Amino acid sequence: MDIDKFIDEIKKKFPNEIKQTEVVHTKRLMIYISKEALLKVTEYIFKDLGLRYIIVTAMDSKKGYEIIYHFSDDSTGWIINLNVVLPREKPEIESLTPVVYGTEWIEREIFDLLGITFLNHPNPKRFLFAEDWPEGKYPFRREQEKK
Amino acid sequence: MGKRTLVPIGPYHPLLEEPEFFKLYCDGEIVKEVVWETGYNHRSIEKICESKTFEQVFYVVERICGICSTSHPFAYANAVESIPGVDVPIRAKYIRTIIGELERIHSHLLWVGLAGHFLGYNTVFMWAWKYREPVLDMFEIITGNRNSYAMFTIGGVRRDIKEEQYPQLEKLLDEFKPKLDLITGAVMDDPVLHARLKGVGVLTAEDIHDFGAVGPVARASGVDIDVRRDDPYAAYDMVDWKVITAQAGDVFAKAEVRLLELYESISIIRQCIEGLKKEKGGEIKAKVKEIPPGIGIGRAEAPRGEVFHFVKSDGSNSPVRHKVRAPSFTCIPTFRRSCVGGTIADAAISLAAVDPCYCCTERMAQVYNYSTGKRIMNAAELIKLSQKRTEEFKTKFLKG
Repeated sequence: MDIDKFIDEIKKKFPNEIKQTEVVHTKRLMIYISKEALLKVTEYIFKDLGLRYIIVTAMDSKKGYEIIYHFSDDSTGWIINLNVVLPREKPEIESLTPVVYGTEWIEREIFDLLGITFLNHPNPKRFLFAEDWPEGKYPFRREQEKK
Repeated sequence: MGKRTLVPIGPYHPLLEEPEFFKLYCDGEIVKEVVWETGYNHRSIEKICESKTFEQVFYVVERICGICSTSHPFAYANAVESIPGVDVPIRAKYIRTIIGELERIHSHLLWVGLAGHFLGYNTVFMWAWKYREPVLDMFEIITGNRNSYAMFTIGGVRRDIKEEQYPQLEKLLDEFKPKLDLITGAVMDDPVLHARLKGVGVLTAEDIHDFGAVGPVARASGVDIDVRRDDPYAAYDMVDWKVITAQAGDVFAKAEVRLLELYESISIIRQCIEGLKKEKGGEIKAKVKEIPPGIGIGRAEAPRGEVFHFVKSDGSNSPVRHKVRAPSFTCIPTFRRSCVGGTIADAAISLAAVDPCYCCTERMAQVYNYSTGKRIMNAAELIKLSQKRTEEFKTKFLKG
């Protein structure tokens, strides 16, 4: 995959959804997208282009709750990252599990740790924490540290 | 839907290291559904890393896995070094590669041994574990530890491999090669293993793509991926080796891939020793002053597959976010495709085939007659029956 060609193509295909693209460093591309576009863009790169799903990283950053979906192009070694920022109030995003089967566990883990709700998740149960873990306590939120 | 019996596997196994809980819902002998529960031993390593300095994180991530304890520092080093763009000295690259490949040897041998043990083929278990010992001894000679070697640091390695250790390393490989032939022969030429493992726990290339499975699990299904070749790091682009794949996707193919990979590992280590001889007296560590703000993504091919580390730095001396993805996280869920539809007897080896850390069978609580759906015995009655039988044996065989 020629990366310049890939960037041109994906920009042409999703002109409004893609906010910005950035080559972070060698072989690492970050694509900033809106949360509404996530399913469409993922379907394109996972199903049509056949990139391999790696994992999802979620963090509490200055911009809000930031979710990064990592995909790997194994023919060239590039890692394509989709970056979505969610507001702190009512963090919700569409679940990727119907498209990428493997994201089921990590989405449940992110709900446990950061309290992000994944809409239409087929099995929205706790993953890591015990059943008696208190409601509304999310250890990866910065507000927990201040308390 | 008929009546289903729950066969619990887990949550703790006295032999292996990780607590996890498989619930097999079975109809007779056939597994209909598998539910997995975890979180018994959540250690919060990602959160702990945020309170450590970049240097200290190496020794935290080294303790994620007790078997492949270099794979996490390897991926973390790749991630954190990519932020300032550190140029790792060639000698350090060779040393890193030697450590990584020695680890692959002892980890794959551990799996082959355990797989043999699960199948009741204890000869393979004894051999594999016996010939794994000299590899661990070699680690002690080079690094000072049989496990958790603490070799990696930002910009290179902490210890050099000394010149007098080259012959020891070469001797180890020379002696290991015939033993590996022996173990490989015991697995590949055994008609019983062919009958037992072929066509069991099959994963197709499509299944691999759906779950994002990696490593030998993916390669055994004909998916030709290996981070060592696709996104080269350390000395892997400086040595000559090939990626092993198989097409069948069953448990036998996974064993085949792992065993043949060991021959590649031996060849890689030999070439790295030659490289070290050429790089005599070279630096083993580059100077790194500070980690600037930015994100770093690093990968390494562990024995079980690709390890992925994501590090975000804000310019201070510790990461603000550190995400770790171990290969088992995407490999274990494949049990949904490999176990379902098979028998309970196959489930054990299908689950073990992805090389997770896995637990043993608990006692079933009730016995049903499947044609009538009628309960025959409960747990208390089973115990009573067992005690009655023991008494019978006692009177029969221990009389006088």
